[in-house]
Amino acid sequence: MTPVEAVLLVFVLATAVATAVLRDVLAVIIAFAAYSLGIAVVWLLLRAPDVGLTEAAVGAGVTTLLFLLTIAKTVRPPSDELFVDVNLPALGVSGLLVAALATTLTALPEIGSSSTPVATSRVTNYYLDNAYAETGVENAVTAVLAGYRGFDTLGEAVVVFAALIGLLVVLDREVLA
Amino acid sequence: MSDSTGTAADDRLEVGAERPPRPYVESPIIMATVRIVAPFVFSLGAFVMFHGADSAGGGFQGGVIVGTVVLLIAIAFGIGPTREWISSSLLTLLVVFGVLLFAGIGLTALVFGGAFLQYEVIPVYEATKYGIELVEVGIGIIVSGTVVGLFFALAAGYRDPDGTEGER
Repeated sequence: MTPVEAVLLVFVLATAVATAVLRDVLAVIIAFAAYSLGIAVVWLLLRAPDVGLTEAAVGAGVTTLLFLLTIAKTVRPPSDELFVDVNLPALGVSGLLVAALATTLTALPEIGSSSTPVATSRVTNYYLDNAYAETGVENAVTAVLAGYRGFDTLGEAVVVFAALIGLLVVLDREVLA
Repeated sequence: MSDSTGTAADDRLEVGAERPPRPYVESPIIMATVRIVAPFVFSLGAFVMFHGADSAGGGFQGGVIVGTVVLLIAIAFGIGPTREWISSSLLTLLVVFGVLLFAGIGLTALVFGGAFLQYEVIPVYEATKYGIELVEVGIGIIVSGTVVGLFFALAAGYRDPDGTEGER
């Protein structure tokens, strides 16, 4: 583990815990935005810049603004305490879940290993070998998303559209603005 | 939008014990910053959207960044005026146009005897490449319209049963 990765890991863990235990909602939103930014850098280190861009734009950017807008329209109970009272049974359940998931860590392959099922899969190598020749698109991720898997992506785009309609239904409004 | 009752400094995102907090405070620093930053953010969003086929990014990421520009402007210059500037019908038209563009490209392939979204049967130069680019633009339009729409709809809030809007 390089020093950059170690610092990033500590940062992500610290902001995640801060998101959970801070009492003030504004502070929680800021901690959550910092957490999203840290995760975005983690995606970059894992060589997934497309996902990193999404995490930075949606997680750290838009979601934070929507949360801020929401708390600006609601009333926050005043309190002098810095942290929430930790619910011990809930903490225990969370700890057990983390421990159970942690047992699978040893089964994971090395980061960047060339012998993982994904890297050796026939489908992956077909995409990597033929994406440019068949679609004329240099970014293999885009070739898969919009080319080979275009129908799935149409479904995703319609889901985004449906989310907007759903919010209008929830807010009992007929126009967006 | 900028009713100046009470001191401007202490009521931004403040605990609303007596009066409801106002989400907008006119700040020359924020306005000047957004004025400078917005064109660059918009360019980045357009680049990520249009260049997504050849570098990291794509319609989804680019659309979010483009939508963020409107959010920045709304935060700096007030949500109400920005909402009037971008009319509701324009937003709705944009989002619907994006969905129809994506679905329309798929149906065009059907017209030329291929499968749904089978770009290469469309008799255009490099049909697959430009089909993918156009689909990415369609996704970008949907996502940017949705981000802006979510923001404005949340800012407008729930419509009360007695007909009064939760306007601010």
